[in-house]
Amino acid sequence: MTLFTTIYSFLYQFGDSFAYLTLSALGLAVIFGMMGVINLAHGEFVMCGAYITILTAKAGLPLPLAMLTGAMTAACVGAILEYLIVRHLYNRLFDSIVATWAVSLITQQTMLIFAGPSIEGLSTPFGSFELGDYSFSTYRALLPFFAITVLAALYLLFFRTNYGIYARATIQNAQMAKCLGLRTSRIYSMTFALGAGLAGLAGALYAPTITAVPTMGSSFIVPAFVTVVTGGANVLLGVLPAAGFLGFIQSGMTAAFGQLAGQIGLLITVIFVIRLLPKGMGHLFNRR
Amino acid sequence: MNKIRRIAIACALTLPVSLAVMAADPVKLGLLEDQSGNFSLAVIPKIHATELAIEEINAKGGIMGRPIKLIHYDTQSDNTKFQEFARRLIQVDKPDVIFGAFSSASREAIRPIMDKAKQLYFYNNQYEGGVCDSNVFVTGAVPEQQFSTLVPWLMEKYGKRVYTIAADYNFGQISAEWVRKIVKENGGTMVGEEFIPLSVNQFGQTIQNIQKVKPDFVMTLLVGNLQSAYFEQQAAANLNLPMGSSIQVGQAYEHKRFKPPALKNMYVTPNYIEEVDSPASNDFKKRFRAKFPNEPYISQEAANAYDAVYIYKAAVEKAKSTDMVKVRKALEGGGICTDGPQGKVCMDPKSHHMSHTIYLAHVQDDHSIKFPKVWNDIQPYWLGQAGCNLAAKADYSQYTPSSPPKK
Amino acid sequence: MNTTDSTKAAAPAALQMPAVQPWKSLADPMVLLIAASFFTPLFFSEGGVSNFAYCLIWTFAAIGLAAMWGFGGILSFGQTAFFGLAGYCYGVFTINLGDSPLSTWMGVLSGLLLCMALACLLGYMIFYGGIKDVFIGIVTLSVTLVFETFMAQTAGPQWAIGSARLNGFNGMSSMPSLSLPGMGADNILLEGNYFLFMVLVMLMVVYLVTKKLLGSSFGLTLEAIRENPHRAEMLGIDIRRYQLLIFIFGSTLAGLSGILYTVWGSYITPSSMGLTASAMPIIWVAIGGRRSLAGAIIATVALLNLSQELVVYGSQYALVLMGLILLVVVMTMPAGLLPTLREKFSKQ
Repeated sequence: MTLFTTIYSFLYQFGDSFAYLTLSALGLAVIFGMMGVINLAHGEFVMCGAYITILTAKAGLPLPLAMLTGAMTAACVGAILEYLIVRHLYNRLFDSIVATWAVSLITQQTMLIFAGPSIEGLSTPFGSFELGDYSFSTYRALLPFFAITVLAALYLLFFRTNYGIYARATIQNAQMAKCLGLRTSRIYSMTFALGAGLAGLAGALYAPTITAVPTMGSSFIVPAFVTVVTGGANVLLGVLPAAGFLGFIQSGMTAAFGQLAGQIGLLITVIFVIRLLPKGMGHLFNRR
Repeated sequence: MNKIRRIAIACALTLPVSLAVMAADPVKLGLLEDQSGNFSLAVIPKIHATELAIEEINAKGGIMGRPIKLIHYDTQSDNTKFQEFARRLIQVDKPDVIFGAFSSASREAIRPIMDKAKQLYFYNNQYEGGVCDSNVFVTGAVPEQQFSTLVPWLMEKYGKRVYTIAADYNFGQISAEWVRKIVKENGGTMVGEEFIPLSVNQFGQTIQNIQKVKPDFVMTLLVGNLQSAYFEQQAAANLNLPMGSSIQVGQAYEHKRFKPPALKNMYVTPNYIEEVDSPASNDFKKRFRAKFPNEPYISQEAANAYDAVYIYKAAVEKAKSTDMVKVRKALEGGGICTDGPQGKVCMDPKSHHMSHTIYLAHVQDDHSIKFPKVWNDIQPYWLGQAGCNLAAKADYSQYTPSSPPKK
Repeated sequence: MNTTDSTKAAAPAALQMPAVQPWKSLADPMVLLIAASFFTPLFFSEGGVSNFAYCLIWTFAAIGLAAMWGFGGILSFGQTAFFGLAGYCYGVFTINLGDSPLSTWMGVLSGLLLCMALACLLGYMIFYGGIKDVFIGIVTLSVTLVFETFMAQTAGPQWAIGSARLNGFNGMSSMPSLSLPGMGADNILLEGNYFLFMVLVMLMVVYLVTKKLLGSSFGLTLEAIRENPHRAEMLGIDIRRYQLLIFIFGSTLAGLSGILYTVWGSYITPSSMGLTASAMPIIWVAIGGRRSLAGAIIATVALLNLSQELVVYGSQYALVLMGLILLVVVMTMPAGLLPTLREKFSKQ
């Protein structure tokens, strides 16, 4: 039993790390990885998803519906942001740093002023289960599977639907896509909203496990950026191996040497991976 | 009729006093506190408490007939803003006293500025202890007050095997050092110690480590919004161990922000929290909520910030002047006390720190609070014992148990 | 004459050659502005002068980033890592060796040398390792965060270099000010007005040197690399060497900012190296106009000043207003503040 417990506990920790990295990264992978927009307001989409989930769940909606509402609201906010601001920055992507930074500043502070410094959170659902000396949270054990499901759904979306084809075409060569009759502005808008919605989903899924404060998104930004960049330009081929590898290192270091080693180990691994694979990990799998 | 007449008479009586107060040269109180940013959650009650105290004092005639004028700059939880505005206060506004700072880093950022200008400065927050500085007076609680009461009590109730998880910086490390010391003095064992960087909010491995060694209780010295995620996560994993802390609940009111039973069986030793049910506390709460009806929580630091204003007032009255050197001498002469929400507390002349009433708060399953024990008049004894005597010898340092003052 | 004029007009504004005759550089408006700033103590109070000097401290990091990013195309999130490193170096040096003019200036030199060394190592790994574009940003950000996380936990007494305790998150303090040897026993302490003059002198030197550097063939090669790396490579230029050199230059300037900040406040802390802090130089340079050194200087001083004024007059709305202003500027002025203004005024 003990060997099984040890193996399972390591897998659980790995899954935990993997899920956090993947879910943080997905929204940014679409917006930054695919569209090239450096979205420093990523954390705020996460916060939006989390807050809406908590508020609707408290109002009586069952948790899964509340989470969907959170993600959809984040997607709508993303669409509005794209229309008002991001749309004008596609030919000067570096300026998206300042613009999204400014949006992040405005959003955090406005939430603080109007919603107060925090709101009461939710309990983690599904209880716990025991294995040997350890007890684990069922919800957290399921999170990596949610992450993989979302990844699979994204794959289906991008490779099996018309929208997917249009989106990939537009991102590969917008001029050509326009010539072929695609409404590129509409596609950009939808893709940005998708990215925002994914970020909102991450916030919604993690809402029952962390504090609900206006600055809660900030803890998702660095994991998101490092995972996306380590993964490389191809969203779907990149995020999975990147999150897997980084998650492995982080959970391993934390288990062996403590949380400080885990944090620093993650960052140093990013540096080494990029040094060894300058185009990111996805490039390894990309035969095109 | 009677009521209206009474109100009219009250107004008529206070009006000349108010007018006189407004006419006199104000006492300037500079405030450097974070109204926005990461620390705003814990700091906003402090700002409100300061405003309340000033309003009350001004309504009764101010300090020696002079009203207090509050000059507050929002430092946005940013150390550089602390430095910029400390300088601005000193060079432009020239206050008679400066209050402020939440994190130790921001206090340490402005302490050199206060010392250079010989500016009287009050730090109204609990912290890791050890500041022995002639210009600085601390109304916050220190580890010897909070741990020497809490840890032996917990060891007696639950057992002698202790696990500490602490934020990985000065406050967490020094607090953990104190826990280690007291556990050893009481014949216990530290079965584990984990230091968590401030940016961490995922505690899966930590929870597992705790379960592996099966301690009797866990000392949690976690700081900031990110680290407080621990409580929900350990409840979700059903860790089910009693917890002790000097900092949880009293400062960032986790028991109000997390759904029960995340903080169940948490024992904290603040010098005040709003659940305290005494005449002084209830009166304070009533006045506080009258001015700030939407205050999420009246915390330990709110009480300290409130008491600080009254301590300053008492010192100025004893010195019969707002001259900073004279006020400092008055405080170092001893006997400067105030009767606030936690009862009577006094400023210790040797260490410039305050005595406190320590309440043992036990968080129940539904996050209500019971107080199994109260310790009165706990002195900040460590600095004095270690060799800091500001009444006799000037100093401008911060010491720790592992690097005490040179004798 | 005519053909030269028309070709000059055809060349994009960014690639126009700056004046190469030395006396013309003295007529540069920025140089005049810096020279005029020497007279600020006559018009401003002690507080105003001190604050102005404080805002100027950060301009070096901005100039360094403008050189790296605007001219070299290297977006580095690492300015604050070098900022902190140099600050700590100065602190360790001077706390151990005292406050004499020699030891404080040696402290400055050691901070700058340490930055150069680390930038060389890091840059070598980045540029000779083939890391490009946004990956450079992420690698430099990771380095900054590693440094910050590591330094934040050095609170214990074992973390000391000589008699200087690193002191973790609470920060290192009690460094002496810079001074110059004076007549007799007393050294001239460079505080207050003298501090301002020293910073202005440094700024003048750095500005002229950077402008000269970027206007020389080195700078033009750099711009060629930025515009089209492949073409530059095919022309036989070793782009890695140029990128490494400008990276070292820009990062060392950030170190200078760090040293001056540590001297000004007698304090340095790991929070100076956080994510927010590392984004600030990028914001300033983006607003000022990436390819404009003068723009970087003016934007830094203006934005720092603005954020202070907003605190005084905007209370809790300060950050909202700051965000709105940044948003408006970036949306309406694509080239940055200074180039847009220059264009507007040159049209009239």
